[in-house]
Amino acid sequence: MAVLTAAKAGSRSASRFWTVRRRDNLVGYLLIAPQLAGSVLFVLLPLALVGWFSLNEWNVLAGTFEYVGLDNYARLAADPALRDSLTATAIFSAGLVTLNLTLALLLAVLLNQKLRGTVVFRALFFSPVLVSLVAWTIVWQFLLQPNGGINALFGGGPNWLRGSGTAMLSVIVVQVIKNVGLNMVLFLAALQGVPKQLYEAAQLDGAGAWTRFRRITVPLISPTILLTSIITVVGSLQVFAQIAVLTQGGPGTSTTVLVYYLYQQAFPFHHFGYGATISVLLFLIVGALTLVQWRMRRKWVHLET
Amino acid sequence: MRRKLILYAVLCVLCVPFVFPTWWMITTSMKPISEVFDFSLIPQVWDLSSYARVFEMQPFGQQYLNSLYIAAVVTAGTMAVAAMAGYAFARIRFPGQNVLFVVVLVGLLIPSEVTIVPLFQMFNRLGLINTHWPLIVVPILGAPSVLATFIMRQFFLTLPGELEEAARVDGLGRFGTFYRVALPLARPALGAVAIFTFLHSWNLYLEPIVYLSTPDMFTLPQALTQFVDAYGGPLWNVQLAAASMTAVPILVVFVLAQRHFIEGLAHTGLKG
Amino acid sequence: MRALIPAVALLTLAAACGSGAEQTAQSGPATLRMSIWTANEDHLKLFNEIAAGYTKAKVTFESIPIDSYTTTLTTQIAGGKAPDLAWILEGSAPDFVESGALAPLSSKIQNAAELAPAATRLWQKDGELYAYPFSTSPFGVFVNTDLLREAGKKVPAKGWTWQEAMDAAAAVAKKGKAGLIVGDWDYKNWTNLATLWEGWGAKAWSEDGATCGFNQPPMVEAMTFLHKSIFTDKALPGPGETVDFYSGDAAMIVTQISRASLLKDATFDWTLLPLPHGPAGEYSVIGQAGIGVIKKSPNAELAADFLGYFTNAENSAKLAQYFPPARTSQLNVETLAKSNPLLKPEQLQAVVIDGIPNGVVKPSHKGQEELIQTARAALDPLWQPGADVKAVLDGVCTKIQPLLGS
Repeated sequence: MAVLTAAKAGSRSASRFWTVRRRDNLVGYLLIAPQLAGSVLFVLLPLALVGWFSLNEWNVLAGTFEYVGLDNYARLAADPALRDSLTATAIFSAGLVTLNLTLALLLAVLLNQKLRGTVVFRALFFSPVLVSLVAWTIVWQFLLQPNGGINALFGGGPNWLRGSGTAMLSVIVVQVIKNVGLNMVLFLAALQGVPKQLYEAAQLDGAGAWTRFRRITVPLISPTILLTSIITVVGSLQVFAQIAVLTQGGPGTSTTVLVYYLYQQAFPFHHFGYGATISVLLFLIVGALTLVQWRMRRKWVHLET
Repeated sequence: MRRKLILYAVLCVLCVPFVFPTWWMITTSMKPISEVFDFSLIPQVWDLSSYARVFEMQPFGQQYLNSLYIAAVVTAGTMAVAAMAGYAFARIRFPGQNVLFVVVLVGLLIPSEVTIVPLFQMFNRLGLINTHWPLIVVPILGAPSVLATFIMRQFFLTLPGELEEAARVDGLGRFGTFYRVALPLARPALGAVAIFTFLHSWNLYLEPIVYLSTPDMFTLPQALTQFVDAYGGPLWNVQLAAASMTAVPILVVFVLAQRHFIEGLAHTGLKG
Repeated sequence: MRALIPAVALLTLAAACGSGAEQTAQSGPATLRMSIWTANEDHLKLFNEIAAGYTKAKVTFESIPIDSYTTTLTTQIAGGKAPDLAWILEGSAPDFVESGALAPLSSKIQNAAELAPAATRLWQKDGELYAYPFSTSPFGVFVNTDLLREAGKKVPAKGWTWQEAMDAAAAVAKKGKAGLIVGDWDYKNWTNLATLWEGWGAKAWSEDGATCGFNQPPMVEAMTFLHKSIFTDKALPGPGETVDFYSGDAAMIVTQISRASLLKDATFDWTLLPLPHGPAGEYSVIGQAGIGVIKKSPNAELAADFLGYFTNAENSAKLAQYFPPARTSQLNVETLAKSNPLLKPEQLQAVVIDGIPNGVVKPSHKGQEELIQTARAALDPLWQPGADVKAVLDGVCTKIQPLLGS
């Protein structure tokens, strides 16, 4: 008798273990399992390995792998080329993000006007997003030659890819035109979500177009601005192919942004350990910038719920 | 009225740098090599031989297929993984959820140049170099799909809370709620994810170069760089022909399905 | 939506089968992989023909694009997926030979004694050969004689000087076409400028590789001459200008003789001359490529054996069709003429046969890639009209001296 009672009690406590809550949690874990496993396997593990590489000197051809502790980091701190690279990166990112967001917003505002055929323009502005990056870069490399299409269009112009200021400008512009369509579409959607009555009321109160833009539009689309700026900043720190094809980091080292410097050290120069060290630095910078932007959202994003 | 004209004019002028390169790419691919540097807007001599040469120089058809099926599989896989993870992070309260989400988000911060060497070694040890597995598995489960998960989570957050209750009343478990109720509603967000993911996979450049070594296995962006003469000098018109063939189908699909493309992107809930 | 998950499963399965099929390649005789940088169909046909005669293994040739060749090869080695044999650029020779990555070959090469010493110097260490110099290609100057005549200039002959060359180039440039092109330089790959500065006795670095040569008097003179020719005399196209000699748009091009094949359908009259004399006299510059066996390869023994076969006298003669051989017995007009039908015997004699024995190889050094890029970045300020040549060259030495010391 006691055994039966105990058995029944046992099975009841088993079903009491799998409460709705616990089953819910299980489903939750199962659903995120693929993504989480992938993150661990293909992101965190390689990152850890890269961290490990940065503590070693790996000569691929000779096949040697020596522990050097923090030597690479000491070298990084004293490296003048790194300083140049950080400067180039800062200029590039700042220039790209500013140009990209401003242009995206401008285009979105223009397309938000009541005009027929904006759908056509929308498609045209978006089209570069669809063209393959390699193809786009090859085409621009061609167009930017001193005897190339751009100068032919303007009837003469500087040597875009070989002049120190113009090379940076060229790389920024090529990248912006390629991707601004994406941000434009996001801004357009956000703009269309702003209630018209707000504008009408403001107009009745005598507010001019610029004031309406500043006081109504910008705050109401600020969540979108925040998100696109985070994505664009992170993206700007990862631009590689365009620089590799168009300027190879030159002239001099004016366009050797951090990710390109990293690639140079690790691959052509065969300093895998040092390249790994720069990778760690890049990761920290990206993380820090994202964190800062995310924290700032309380300050300048309206309507955070 | 004048305001409209000015607006149109401004839009047209702004349009030029967006359209001109693609236009130029297509028209130059149809010029003979001697005319390539002439910068004529329309070819003076129509020479379509570079299109034939594309296929002669590379197994371009096979490479096209490679890019296509890889992108398709990655898109379908990412949609599944991201939808599941996005739903769980958004709608289910399970312990450690926030920490795990941050762990997953780390993937967004890492450029692929950083992780490529360890990943290459990993796949090499598994004997999967020069196969398409790294190009399929890593995007679906790793860093590229994290953006998709983020988008799906954002979307699922916007669904009303009563959704789950209504589903429970109907007798659906949690998974059933996801599969039968939440997922069908997520069509616009899934559409956006599909587009992002497809384009990302279609345009991958560094990864195929590192993992693939026989032309049969190449994908399109990689193939584009192979059209060189015996000494490494680019064969411009052939390269542009290949580039045009890569870009034009996508452009055509885009024009036809433009509304779905862009509306999908717009309604991802990213507006906040 | 409902069919989503089964569909993914099905597609992934199909993908696995698809890519799996590609993999069920070799079982049976051993396989060897050689990485090369040419994708030229004729070259590949020749290689496959030669390899077909080797019964001990099946050999495949894998083409890697030349601009990323060394980087890709090194990445493969780093990732544990190295080929068994690999072509090696002369610039990377020191890195590969010094590092011990290559297997010794002297015992495998048929009649190694007949290889020209100038050709093998770069590929040897302590008397042992580590890579076979299968292509030793001297630099010459192709001249578009039509353009010269139109500009009122006499067609130069062997023994000409750089001053004459630049004068003729400038005259053609005045007429609207481009003057002289230093092939493959493009204001970036400066090692090709050795074809010019050797005429002044200048060197990028000392013989032992330890001292920077850029700010030494011979180099300063050579670069001053070059700078004047570009910016004052306009004898060369400026930075970034793309000009194609083979379409008839330039007066001359300094390049290797293998490019003669590009002149097959030339629409103009041309000739090939050896490099002009500089103030320091006569000289010749050679570019090279070697084939090495990767020591770590599980099939290293077999690979070395194959290399011996691939480069034996018989096959070397076949390869000579496209790649000038290092075997002195094959460095004669008859053999070379068969494979270079477009060149006249006196041209072959003057440029190739006379050029190889005393030829100076293009600059190479341990840590090549980093040196080249660093020097390149430091040289960029030179390619402006008002540049201070000495100051820029001093800057180059400041930047590269630390790298030379290692």
